[in-house]
Amino acid sequence: MINAVLYDIALTAYIVAMVAALGHLLGRREGWWRLALLFTQAGWLFHTLAIGVRGVELGRLPLLTLSELVSVVIWGAVLLELWAERVYRVKVLGAFVLPVVVGLGLALPTGLRALALEPAIRSAWIWIHAALALLGLAALVLNFAGAVMYLLQEHQLKAKRPGTIYYRLPSLETLDRLSYRTLTLGFPFLTAGLVLGALWAGAAWGSVLAFDPLALSSVLMWLVYAAILAGRVVGRWHGRRAAYLAIAGFCVLLLTLGAGVLLQGRHGS
Amino acid sequence: MTPTVFVAGMSHRTAPVEVREQLALEDDKLREVVAALAAQGIAAELMILSTCNRVEVYGVAEAPGEARAAAFRQLGAHRGVGLPSIEPHLYAHSGEEAVRHAFRVAASLDSLVIGEPQILGQVKDAFALAQSCQTVGPVLNALMSQAFRVAKRVRTETEVGRLAVSVSSTAVELARKIFGRLDGKAVLLVGAGEMAELAARLLMEAGAMPLYVANRTLARARELAATLAGIAVPFEQTATVMAEVDIVIACTAAPEPVVRVTEVRAALAARRSRPLFLIDLGVPRNVEAAVNALDGVFAYDVDDLEQVVESNRRERQREARRAEIMVEGEVGRFLRRLQDVEVVPTIVSLKEKLEAIRRGELDKALARLPGASAEMRAVLEALSQAIVNKVLHAPVVKLRDSSRDGHGRRWTEVVSEIFGLRRPPDERDR
Repeated sequence: MINAVLYDIALTAYIVAMVAALGHLLGRREGWWRLALLFTQAGWLFHTLAIGVRGVELGRLPLLTLSELVSVVIWGAVLLELWAERVYRVKVLGAFVLPVVVGLGLALPTGLRALALEPAIRSAWIWIHAALALLGLAALVLNFAGAVMYLLQEHQLKAKRPGTIYYRLPSLETLDRLSYRTLTLGFPFLTAGLVLGALWAGAAWGSVLAFDPLALSSVLMWLVYAAILAGRVVGRWHGRRAAYLAIAGFCVLLLTLGAGVLLQGRHGS
Repeated sequence: MTPTVFVAGMSHRTAPVEVREQLALEDDKLREVVAALAAQGIAAELMILSTCNRVEVYGVAEAPGEARAAAFRQLGAHRGVGLPSIEPHLYAHSGEEAVRHAFRVAASLDSLVIGEPQILGQVKDAFALAQSCQTVGPVLNALMSQAFRVAKRVRTETEVGRLAVSVSSTAVELARKIFGRLDGKAVLLVGAGEMAELAARLLMEAGAMPLYVANRTLARARELAATLAGIAVPFEQTATVMAEVDIVIACTAAPEPVVRVTEVRAALAARRSRPLFLIDLGVPRNVEAAVNALDGVFAYDVDDLEQVVESNRRERQREARRAEIMVEGEVGRFLRRLQDVEVVPTIVSLKEKLEAIRRGELDKALARLPGASAEMRAVLEALSQAIVNKVLHAPVVKLRDSSRDGHGRRWTEVVSEIFGLRRPPDERDR
């Protein structure tokens, strides 16, 4: 299948880009960064093609199986990474986002199983639900990367022993802003996506929270992120606390995806 | 003998200050020396760089050794120092080595404090002085303009000159790592002291404001506030003010801590976890050590700052190694350009010569054809042009290729000989 080949090319490019980005973070060659950027862009283009080709082959949006979903999440995350790297002038962002992208990409179920979605819930709304939720998740990948960078830099500043990472990472303020921005970007999408899904579930099965592992863990994930956002807006939680919570939120996000893989539910396998 | 680029001189590496200071001259004297040397005709091009850390002569000469001796004899003459006492401290480079040296000096890689920014300005001044004495020719011009570009590249693409190596500027740099931009960040200065005032001043230069000044004696606080454009606050209110500011500089002679954990914790509650940066310049320390453990608080004492300075120095060294690689690339690029400088005058005069022949013969031919139509004239014009171009092609390509292979000079001579090109020695490097 051509889309699988394209996908493999994209993933390989992401891996090369990740190695180069880590090389740039720890070494000190500008060339590594350019290489990372080039391969990230190339990978993203192949990835876009792969998704497009798959859509054409299937005659529908490739958002039904879990592997398709993860694929779109990392596609969105790479796009956002390229954007944020430019806007925030954080050249080392790739070194933190790409490992997540590659991790998710490699963990992605390769079988590309068809989804056992009940005919009752097939409708245009389901696509919007999935697309919105996925965009939200992509932004949260960046939120996680920003939080990790924040904690690393904060540790360097607290320990007062500046190492390579101290010189490479931007200011705490920039990192805090990056994770806040990605949270405010991702959360509304996630919310809209989940609300649509819940409404649809209500219409299709007569219950908003029909027992479905993916739906339940999604709600848990949403609650965690809602708490972080509320904490930041109302309680003005900045810095370390926000970063720890962002990491916790991302763990729930991974669990959510894991739940989708391991447990059979209405979202299909 | 062909003219080569050379540099000769002494620096903090090779000569003690007692020797260097004897050669350091003010601009007027330097101008005299440059003019005198130019009058001697010992070098085709010449420039003298004179700073407190180095005295160097850059130039282009057929006999660099003689030019060097003449230059330092002149330089020493002003203070009555003979060449024999100068010579042991001199280093001399020519060709590629000289180019590398020029780039390294301009990029501040050869400085006592690597990456210090003054040297580039000093090199520019020396170049300007030489220009005003009309001792700059095409080679020095190309060398120096590329040296300035290299220096700029090193400054923007590496951290060599960016990392602070003094305690006060390191404090500012740390503030930047915490707050990003310092615009509008409020500062509280408790106590007084040269280093503390300098740090406050640097922070304000970086955009921080307002500055509050507290002191045990209010009069002293007022005085200091006036000189630093700050606001004096009573000493008892430091804890309250701390809730408002982002950066605290403490530098008092108090025997026990002035900033305590309890106060900072209270301030933090009021500031809703915005970060707080405490710079403790007091000895004994003014800030309780346990403060650093509080979330969002970064407390640095003098030893901590020294430690950061030390690692900045190491980082500068590492960045300097990157810069050296950059310089290597630029040296290669310059040498290739220099080779072009070698063959370009020959190509130009070859073209001029053939064009003159073409013009002359064409005019003669047209004179014999008074009734020639416009069309015919155009044909003749095109014909002669085509012949000249075809004849030119092979030697021009050969010259350009040879310059890349490093045989440029030999082939310029061959071509000049064959085509009978006039090449007075003073136009050799035009």
